[in-house]
Amino acid sequence: MRPFAYTKVETLAEAVDALVAAGPQARLLAGGTTLYDLMKLEIETPPAVVDVHRVADLAGFDTSGDRELVFGAGARMADVAEDGRLRRDYPALSESLWRAASQQLRNMATLGGNLLQRTRCPYFRGGEPFACNKRRPGSGCAAREGLDRSHALFGGSEACIAVYPGDWATALVAFDAEVDVLGPGGARSLPLVRLHREPGDTPQHEHTLEPGEIILRVRVPATPAGRGSAYLKIRDRESYAFAVVSAAVALTLDGDGRVDECRIAVGGVATRPWRVPAAEQALRGNEITEASARAAGEAAFADARPGRDNAFKIELGTRTVADAVRLAGSRAVA
Amino acid sequence: MSREPVDTRRVDAREKVTGAALYATDLHPDQVAHAVLATATVGRGRITELDVSAAAAVPGVLLVLTHLDRLDLQSPGFIMGGGYGVQSMQPLLDDRIAYRGQAIAMVVAETLTAATEAANLVHAAYEQEPFAVTLDSPGVERLSQPAAIPLPFLADLDVGDAESAYAAAALRVDATYDQPAQHQNPMELIGATVFWRGDTLVVHEGTQNAGAIRNGLARQLGIDAANVEVISPYTGGGFGQKNSLQIHIAPLALAARRLGRPVKLVVSRTQLFHHTSFRPASRHRIRLGADEHGRMLAAIHEVEHQTSRHDLFPLMYTEITSRMYGVRDFRGRQTFARMDTQSPGFMRAPFEQPAAFAFESAVDELAYAAHRDPLEFRLANDTTVDPISGEPFSSRHLAQCLRRGAKRFGWSARQQRPASMRADDGSLVGWGVAVGAYPGSIVPSAAHLVAGADGRIRVEVDGHEMGQGIRSTIAILVAENLGVGVHRIDIVIGDTRVAAQHLTAGSWGTASTLGAVQAALRALREQLGADATGPVDLAAAVRATGRDHVEVRAETLGPGQTEQDIERARRGHPALSGPEFPGYSTFSWIAHFVEVRVEPSTCRIRVPRVVSVADCGRVASPVTAASQVRGGIVWGIGASLREAGEVDPRYGGFLNASLEEYPVPVNADIGTLDVDFIGEPDLRFSPVGVKGLGEVSMVGVAAAVANAVFHATGVRHRRLPIRIEDVLAGASPPA
Ligand SMILES: Cc1cc2nc3c(=O)[nH]c(=O)nc-3n(C[C@H](O)[C@H](O)[C@H](O)COP(=O)(O)OP(=O)(O)OC[C@H]3O[C@@H](n4cnc5c(N)ncnc54)[C@H](O)[C@@H]3O)c2cc1C
Ligand code: SF4
Repeated sequence: MRPFAYTKVETLAEAVDALVAAGPQARLLAGGTTLYDLMKLEIETPPAVVDVHRVADLAGFDTSGDRELVFGAGARMADVAEDGRLRRDYPALSESLWRAASQQLRNMATLGGNLLQRTRCPYFRGGEPFACNKRRPGSGCAAREGLDRSHALFGGSEACIAVYPGDWATALVAFDAEVDVLGPGGARSLPLVRLHREPGDTPQHEHTLEPGEIILRVRVPATPAGRGSAYLKIRDRESYAFAVVSAAVALTLDGDGRVDECRIAVGGVATRPWRVPAAEQALRGNEITEASARAAGEAAFADARPGRDNAFKIELGTRTVADAVRLAGSRAVA
Repeated sequence: MSREPVDTRRVDAREKVTGAALYATDLHPDQVAHAVLATATVGRGRITELDVSAAAAVPGVLLVLTHLDRLDLQSPGFIMGGGYGVQSMQPLLDDRIAYRGQAIAMVVAETLTAATEAANLVHAAYEQEPFAVTLDSPGVERLSQPAAIPLPFLADLDVGDAESAYAAAALRVDATYDQPAQHQNPMELIGATVFWRGDTLVVHEGTQNAGAIRNGLARQLGIDAANVEVISPYTGGGFGQKNSLQIHIAPLALAARRLGRPVKLVVSRTQLFHHTSFRPASRHRIRLGADEHGRMLAAIHEVEHQTSRHDLFPLMYTEITSRMYGVRDFRGRQTFARMDTQSPGFMRAPFEQPAAFAFESAVDELAYAAHRDPLEFRLANDTTVDPISGEPFSSRHLAQCLRRGAKRFGWSARQQRPASMRADDGSLVGWGVAVGAYPGSIVPSAAHLVAGADGRIRVEVDGHEMGQGIRSTIAILVAENLGVGVHRIDIVIGDTRVAAQHLTAGSWGTASTLGAVQAALRALREQLGADATGPVDLAAAVRATGRDHVEVRAETLGPGQTEQDIERARRGHPALSGPEFPGYSTFSWIAHFVEVRVEPSTCRIRVPRVVSVADCGRVASPVTAASQVRGGIVWGIGASLREAGEVDPRYGGFLNASLEEYPVPVNADIGTLDVDFIGEPDLRFSPVGVKGLGEVSMVGVAAAVANAVFHATGVRHRRLPIRIEDVLAGASPPA
């Protein structure tokens, strides 16, 4: 770890001021479970860190609203995952949190930090000697001709095929979440789907926040599809692992048992939170059957671009979406 | 004299749970400085430029040691080559890079933070050379073991004429099985706290072999072994990785001498994957022949495994595969595949786990070829004599393990046809069985007992506590023998100040250590004028001698061993005898029954239950024995479904060098583990009747899992670990 300046702030205004003063290389610190980790690996070497974990305006969350659910960026994963209303009315959101990381990490980690967690690509985290455009722009991408079992089928580029690993954002993108941010230029909102960038030629740039901007909260429009939702996560072991493939599905059924509202996103397979409208379209208007669920899964992966070791995720992902559709469907009926 | 009840719980449980047990790197001696290693980033080559100026300029840095300092150190020699070291190649002595991850500098600083920062600032330039890192890489050099090391115990096994018998057999299996490299990853990282007291070097390190550290350091530093003290009361798991002198200790000793201060080093988890030993990748071709009734006639086991360029880590895979069944004609061939890694070494059930995976998978294939139930097939091919030596086993209750395990498991409800059993949730159910064996060895051992007039007894003995519970086992033996409470017994092990402390491994620790303690107890009873058996009022008996304490010493040997073996052990070399002894041979045995469930859609494999029944002779300590077996099963599940060192041949070394990317099982992966023991003492092998247990517990689990996956799905998997994609590839397309 390199030495760095550390500032602890109590208010949002102080946070913005401190960030601006510290310059564009400075980092916000929330739970530290991503940032400190990367600093220890010397993959991130910020000269200054602004600790916002005590900022009261970021804390808390409210799942009782009729119009929207509000999640403060400083709310802890564990607290939100355990919220009774969320578990009942939006099981996919709760599941995406409690199936992530470990209890100890969820006790520390915040929802805002979670959104901006970075890829687990081993060549990125491994440091020298691996070529990595994200870590060292222009050095190449070791994964492209290497061990790419954990790499993306969607949204990759010549320069980078690293998976965005977060479960929470994968679920959120299915729910059309909005993000409120505050920066030196004031406050603004953006759809969550626009928060993360695809790697393109500049994989080192992962999100669209301006220097000095802070995520304040995430807002999720209330929807009856929340009840009929599921987040299914397939891992290399039963707990405490990132997704090999995951699927977030939320739906409602009409009076005839046909899918009405339908939202589907996939995780572990894309360079950013990945909504799959083609799968939604395939399912909408149909009853949930083995065949229609499978068809939704196939539609979700129709455009997949596999590498050397990850082609199996097309079939696995197809089945995962199909299972999640059936699970969501059973919850929508119940 | 009344007998105090024997408390069979772990004697050090409270210390461990409360954190009172101090491990080597928990120590913070006054003025301690911290060391961190910088490592090579190329797969092989030469350092052409080494710049430590930025590292040295970090505030708090005290010393940067590199090969440019011309360190006055000898090679420790390889533990399996007559030396003491985890490998013979001592880094930091010249500009050669033998493998990626090799240490190129040791930075010592006032704080761990400063040392870490500085180590990252060490800059090296290299001249690179081609390298090989997998069994399939070009540039691997293959050597037949008997040609490379013409020692009797490493000779190829050839009994009868296996090739002809195989060729003539009515039923044949010919299959190749792959075992990846795996890493021990004990919870306690490798590390040491080292300082000089005058001319005496004091080393605190968690180890299974304090004796090798002591004698190896003497050789490396050119000092008298009497001037080295190694203290290791607790080891936080060793699993073979801590069985020899690690390569950082001698440089640490030099740093401590230069600085005149204690120095501590904890090797990071990531560096561990390249810093010390690991289980080598191996490939096994198994050919089995049987007559039309399913009687096994011939077995041919050809195996190659990876080793480093600088050391030959021997292969001993066929030792057990030749003894599992009554096969008349056996042929084994063992081949080194030398490549550019650090030297591999022992990892729990080092040869037996991969060997049993391959062999017991092939036996299952043969049972299916013969249309026979795999349990009944194994029982039908059981043997009472060692087919290699022609002599009896000192004890073999394997058939009993199989029968008892089958009953506990409910095997009789099994349907033979693959993919024919289903759970209520639609999962495919598979039931698999496999057996395991582990050679019995005994090493010389010395014990020193001091009985005090206060009624306490102090036991100083050869042995190391790696968490396997040897301290508890010793306490129980002494408590039962003398009728004294466990709380009156003080045990000193892992300490070269009281005994030679040669290697504790290979499951010989308990049999060897307990043998010595038992002999010493006999001597003590004589000294005290006590009866040969029955409780002893220690305080009274000692007082009656008119002294405030009575001490006795005893040394024990394995069958067929001599003074020379004691001498070897004193010098820190492994001196084991077995598994063939005069007139018999000794193995521990185990049978595993595994249920897997394969999710029909996403093909996740779960292991809801395992039943294992072991024949380890007398069960010396019920609590720690059951715990050993449960741990072995968990290791077996990890080996079969989770763990592999991933290699990117372009870079060398291992890619997934962290516990995040090297997945070991978590609690949620483990279902019900039902463990039982036959418990028949083997008094021919050991006066205390115990055989080894720690290693055999893992042997065969991976095969039982793979056989169960076959039974569930109808697809045979011959490469470990078996992952989702492997099962998915064989799964029937959705309806
Ligand atoms: C071993 C391990 C396993 C894990 N497994 C999973 C998993 O299975 N699934 C999963 O989804 N995640 C997993 N994670 C990731 C974990 O969820 C994230 O590390 C965590 O959510 C990050 O939150 P934090 O508060 O600790 O963020 P920090 O580490 O404090 O910050 C992370 C990043 O977000 C930025 N940031 C923080 N707050 C704000 C804000 N309000 N506005 C703008 N920027 C901000 C920081 O500057 C930093 O760049 C795992 C992590 C670990 C270490
Ligand atoms: S995939 Fe991206 S993060 Fe991984 S090595 Fe390539 S550039 Fe780096």
